[in-house]
Amino acid sequence: MVAQVTFDWSVVTDNVALYYSGVKLTLAIAAVSFVLATLMGVVIALLRLVRNPVISAAMATYINVFRAIPLLVFILFIYYGVAIAFDLDFLTAIQAGILALVLQYSAWLGEIFRSGIQAIPKGQREAALSVGMSRPGTFFTITLPQAARIVIPPTGNMLIGMVKDTSLVYLLGVSELLRVTNLLANRTFRYFEVYLATVAIYLLLTTTIYYGVKFLERRYSVVDVLSEIKRSRSPLARRRLARLRTLQETVQGGATAAT
Amino acid sequence: MAAVRERHSDDAPLADSSRATVALRDIHKSFGSNHVLRGIDLQVHAGEHVVIFGPSGSGKSTLLRTINLLEEPDSGSVRVDGIEYGPGVRGEPRGRRGDRRDLRKQVGMVFQQFNLFPHLSVLDNVTIALRRVKKLRRDEAEHRAARQLDRVGLLDKIGAYPAMLSGGQQQRVAIARALVMDPKVMLFDEPTSALDPELVGEVLAAMRDLADTGMTMVVVTHEMGFGREIGDANVFMDSGVIVEQGGREIYSDCREERTRAFIKAVL
Ligand SMILES: Nc1ncnc2c1ncn2[C@@H]1O[C@H](COP(=O)(O)OP(=O)(O)OP(=O)(O)O)[C@@H](O)[C@H]1O
Ligand SMILES: [Mg+2]
Repeated sequence: MVAQVTFDWSVVTDNVALYYSGVKLTLAIAAVSFVLATLMGVVIALLRLVRNPVISAAMATYINVFRAIPLLVFILFIYYGVAIAFDLDFLTAIQAGILALVLQYSAWLGEIFRSGIQAIPKGQREAALSVGMSRPGTFFTITLPQAARIVIPPTGNMLIGMVKDTSLVYLLGVSELLRVTNLLANRTFRYFEVYLATVAIYLLLTTTIYYGVKFLERRYSVVDVLSEIKRSRSPLARRRLARLRTLQETVQGGATAAT
Repeated sequence: MAAVRERHSDDAPLADSSRATVALRDIHKSFGSNHVLRGIDLQVHAGEHVVIFGPSGSGKSTLLRTINLLEEPDSGSVRVDGIEYGPGVRGEPRGRRGDRRDLRKQVGMVFQQFNLFPHLSVLDNVTIALRRVKKLRRDEAEHRAARQLDRVGLLDKIGAYPAMLSGGQQQRVAIARALVMDPKVMLFDEPTSALDPELVGEVLAAMRDLADTGMTMVVVTHEMGFGREIGDANVFMDSGVIVEQGGREIYSDCREERTRAFIKAVL
């Protein structure tokens, strides 16, 4: 006997507002965590690269420890373990979730940023110093912009991972996408429709980020001549092109006048 | 006249050193247990073209990099255009530490691997130090940069990125990037070694033009023909010491057996 499956999508269409509230919280948690993790990741990468062996080793330990713990274990440990043992009752479930995400993702990102910075050849720094630039100036205008281009793809993957991993905080009772879905399904028994909509939403979010990252990657790859030409259709590039033409003509004119 | 030109006078007049554009005194440098520079004394006078040659690993690059302090000397002193830096010469009271960056600003350097900034256009490669170090306005910086690029024949490439240029073009941009800062001396570390043979000529031509303008230059090169052509003072290095230095005649008539053997092997 074949089970007669009938779908009733009204459970989804009637609850768009509920889904929307879940998506908003999911994205908010991901955004806040990602920004904080990125800032911390930069600091960790820089401290990892200082010559002081104690600081460098401390950062290596941080990276190895926080990367190694399963995120779900970590979230539960912080909210139920640490928060209760140390009487941190001001720590809300959302904050605990964000804290766990930031600690773990800053370790991953710190490692990504470190390798990005180290991938820039020593000659780049030396060339900048040789024209009289300061060390901080060299870092911010030469090393960092090049390292940033290198780390765009792996950092984008981290952001996608982050959006997915926010679903783990549903165990703390945070009303993000997975939890509102879960409650809705339990209430209506339309598990398939309700969860399928959730799957589709996650897929849409991560795919959007994926293409956003691809765009950035192309936008900032200077060796890609094609994208360079495409870019030249933008008004900004046109103005720049016009500027260069004028400069060329002025210099050429000056040279001919002199001879 | 340059003290280094008098090749048989080991007791070159010391008074002369105070007027030299570059003066290295008793430079020692080790990497771990590898004693790479073993007491280097060298003077480069304004307008002089010094050519440094010698076997691989003899310390030529390290010596050049010490002049603009990309390598810190373990002992001895570096002086460029009156700015002195270094731990000091053994036996003298103490070293003078002028500002490292002030000294560097007087020195331009061209690297074997070009080291252009790949994320910046050709124009921005040349303007960046004018803007960041000399704090020039954008218009002024771009005009100076474009004039310098015109001089090395690359005015039509100002909008390109380094990756789109040939090695020879990249090296000429690198020369413009260094020159635009108005250095007192230009250092070249094997500027043509990374180039395909057919591109060597254009870079040597740019260097020849520069030499003709009277720029003070220190050139490490394996292009012995070129060295012979522009070298007012020619320095042969081996195992971290200057074995011998002299004028153009050094290539045909040198004092030291080691120099003779090296020249015979490469010419
Ligand atoms: N940063 C460094 N760390 C450790 N050792 C170094 C470093 N730089 C140079 N050396 C060593 O110092 C010695 C001299 O090197 P240097 O590059 O000055 O020689 P060179 O005369 O320029 O040789 P080449 O003709 O091959 O360029 C070599 O033994 C080299 O291995
Ligand atoms: Mg070398």
